[in-house]
Amino acid sequence: MEHRWGMAIDLDRCTGCEACVAACHAENNLPLSDPAEAEKGRAFHWIRVDRYYEGEFPDIRMKYMPVLCQQCEEAPCEPVCPTYATYHNAEGLNVQVYNRCVGTRYCGNNCPYSVRFFNWFEPQWPEPLELQHNPDVSIRPSGVMEKCTFCIQRIQRVKRDAKAEGRPVADGEVQPACVQSCPAEAMTFGDLNDPESKVSRLAASGRATRLLEDLGAKPKVFYLQRAK
Amino acid sequence: MILTADFDDPRSVASAIVALQARGYGAEEIDVFSTAPVELAQVLLERPSRMSLVAVTSAVVFGLSAIAFVHYTQNDYRIVTGGMPIFSWWSTGVIFYEFTMFGSISATFVMFLLESGLLGRRRAVPVPVLEAGRIHLRLLCEAEDAAPAADCLYQAGAASVEKMEEWA
Amino acid sequence: MDTVVETRADNLRETLWRPLRGASRSYMVALAVTFLLGALGLGCWSYQIVRGIGVAGIRRPTMWGLYLVNFVFWIGISHAGTLISAILRLTDAGWRKPVTRIAEAITVFALMIGAMFPIIHLGRPLIFFWLIPYPNSRLLWPNFRSPLLWDLTAIVTYLSGSIIYLYLPLIPDLAELAQHAAGWRGRLYRLLSVGWTGSDRQWRALERAMHRMAGMILAVAVSVHTVVAWDFAMAVAPLWHSTIFGPYFVAGAIFSGIAALLLAMAIIRKLLHLEAYVQPVHFDNLGKLLLLMSLLWFYFTISENLTTWYGNSPAEMNVFGSRARGPFAPYFWVMVFCNFVVPFLLLSSKRVRSARTVTIASVTVLAGMWLERYLIILPTLSYPRLAAATGFYKPTWVEISITVSTFAAMTMFYLIFCKLFPAIAVWEYKHDSHS
Repeated sequence: MEHRWGMAIDLDRCTGCEACVAACHAENNLPLSDPAEAEKGRAFHWIRVDRYYEGEFPDIRMKYMPVLCQQCEEAPCEPVCPTYATYHNAEGLNVQVYNRCVGTRYCGNNCPYSVRFFNWFEPQWPEPLELQHNPDVSIRPSGVMEKCTFCIQRIQRVKRDAKAEGRPVADGEVQPACVQSCPAEAMTFGDLNDPESKVSRLAASGRATRLLEDLGAKPKVFYLQRAK
Repeated sequence: MILTADFDDPRSVASAIVALQARGYGAEEIDVFSTAPVELAQVLLERPSRMSLVAVTSAVVFGLSAIAFVHYTQNDYRIVTGGMPIFSWWSTGVIFYEFTMFGSISATFVMFLLESGLLGRRRAVPVPVLEAGRIHLRLLCEAEDAAPAADCLYQAGAASVEKMEEWA
Repeated sequence: MDTVVETRADNLRETLWRPLRGASRSYMVALAVTFLLGALGLGCWSYQIVRGIGVAGIRRPTMWGLYLVNFVFWIGISHAGTLISAILRLTDAGWRKPVTRIAEAITVFALMIGAMFPIIHLGRPLIFFWLIPYPNSRLLWPNFRSPLLWDLTAIVTYLSGSIIYLYLPLIPDLAELAQHAAGWRGRLYRLLSVGWTGSDRQWRALERAMHRMAGMILAVAVSVHTVVAWDFAMAVAPLWHSTIFGPYFVAGAIFSGIAALLLAMAIIRKLLHLEAYVQPVHFDNLGKLLLLMSLLWFYFTISENLTTWYGNSPAEMNVFGSRARGPFAPYFWVMVFCNFVVPFLLLSSKRVRSARTVTIASVTVLAGMWLERYLIILPTLSYPRLAAATGFYKPTWVEISITVSTFAAMTMFYLIFCKLFPAIAVWEYKHDSHS
């Protein structure tokens, strides 16, 4: 049976520490922006933590919401790409093919979650950070769109190893960098096609919601929170 | 024999054409040259055209080819995007429409070039030099009929009638 | 420069052909200035290609900026020719005759400029040709489901149609010029007039072709700007996903097209001394059309904004508020002033409507319509659905230079055109006095 990768993020556990953000940067060779570029809105955060405030001081409640590519089943970003640089693969991932991207940025405009990032310049890292690159992840050139891939390199590695050992992929074996690094264990990743997997059970729980659900994009990231 | 007659106004040209047609000359032998279109002459001289037919056919052909092409390319390497079907009639509609229009536009232009004789060199029949404000009529006639035809033209109001070189 | 031999005393030809002889000093200066500005634009674009598109002010979330504004603007201007030539030709409005060629030339050049912008705004412009369907080593065809591909098809069709539509009525004039011109000009005219002899067979074919082209080019023009509108309407972004965008953009395009035509008419009339042919009645008629389009534009704008406001959907109201009261409000109200108030005041009363006021109105409309394109694109992008990603766009010198250079390029193309070809179709004008 094909996998269908999904993620569950427990908002009641999230402390907003942004370890996931840092881990994603390290794992996926995200370019670093200098303060001037960040000021101009050019910073890269494949996963970002949005902060929502409820109430008035001193009774403020904070909600931290890590937002990453929702890998929508019916992604609005996919049909608008003229070169098929973004499309839906058989495992339910919204993949970004860097080589095909000509940089029209239509997908970036059409993403309702604003999770797409564009390489405005050639990526640069201050020394010695360019020695820290992950060899499993390609460096994107200037003019190409990028976004969270659910750490597809880790998925591929696990699948390859499982196939080599002649066994199916176990639940919880694939851990994207963000899921792996979360100290509060707020994030869960797994196969939604497997009804017994942790992420499927969490997604079916009463606490599961999805972001901007009424748009009908069918995102595969489930946010768990106490009250809807 | 080629006769060229110069006229100063469309009405005399029209009466000349009528007179020539009464003598048995047809639209193949009579040509009117001018720096601006002469409507009366156009009404009298029938120039059949297949422009509309060709344009419509071309539009249909181009449009259907566009659909076929899109269908082929979308299925050639099936890539799923956003839950849309691999080949969608609706989203092909625009391309179909544009190609239909492209087909009819190109066909119209090509038919214009063909029907005006600009494309495809016909046998080089001498052509009167255009003068602004004058209308020239060229008649291809038999040598024996040259004089009576010329009289005809003078009677219709030609300012001058010339015999151009003998031409078979 | 080779001279054109004097013809017989014929006022129309004399007036129209005089600009084709030689070039005055001010013409050469104007040509040099516009050429330099155009070259500057190309230089800026080269800098952008080398350095990366980050030299423009675009950012997340406003990933489209001035380049797309200009794209929509210039494609809109290109509807000048279509309206005047095609619609007026189909309705047989005789007064259109002196202005058809001016309009058709605007269409072709505006389209050529507009069509450059989708390439300029690409992140990797040197591989723009991947959007063209050809068998390739990637084993990949372009995605015809994307509105950008519809754009490509529509613009290619419209550009070829417009060039043909400009060229067809030019042929008889070129043939006449070929008779009287010498040197390289004569060779050029002879080549372009493809052996036109002026026979009734040819006139018949020409008029048939032009009549059909008028209808077809009109159909294409409507579809082109609808397709450009659908670049935005097909997106789920708030305030873009509107069913009215197709007609809205077409109406706006015709609106800005008439304004551009009026401006071109005013300038050409002055510079080429065509006062006898481009008369106040033309300004009056086109002024009335401009007013009509202004009212239509206003109707669409009210429909769009009223339904948005009444619907009160949070994501849309965010964007709406930014235009009505927020950061974009000054631009929005200036736009309404330029597009509606000024045309209404200057054009509705016969006493106020004159060639001068019509020209002033058209300049303000051009500015207003450029602002309208800006206000369609930027506010929606600045206020995405997830508010944490809100961000504002500030154009850089690169984008502004390229924008300015396109206006210069348009002027330059026009200067060259008017130096090579007569601005009024002589045969069409004479046609009136013959029949």
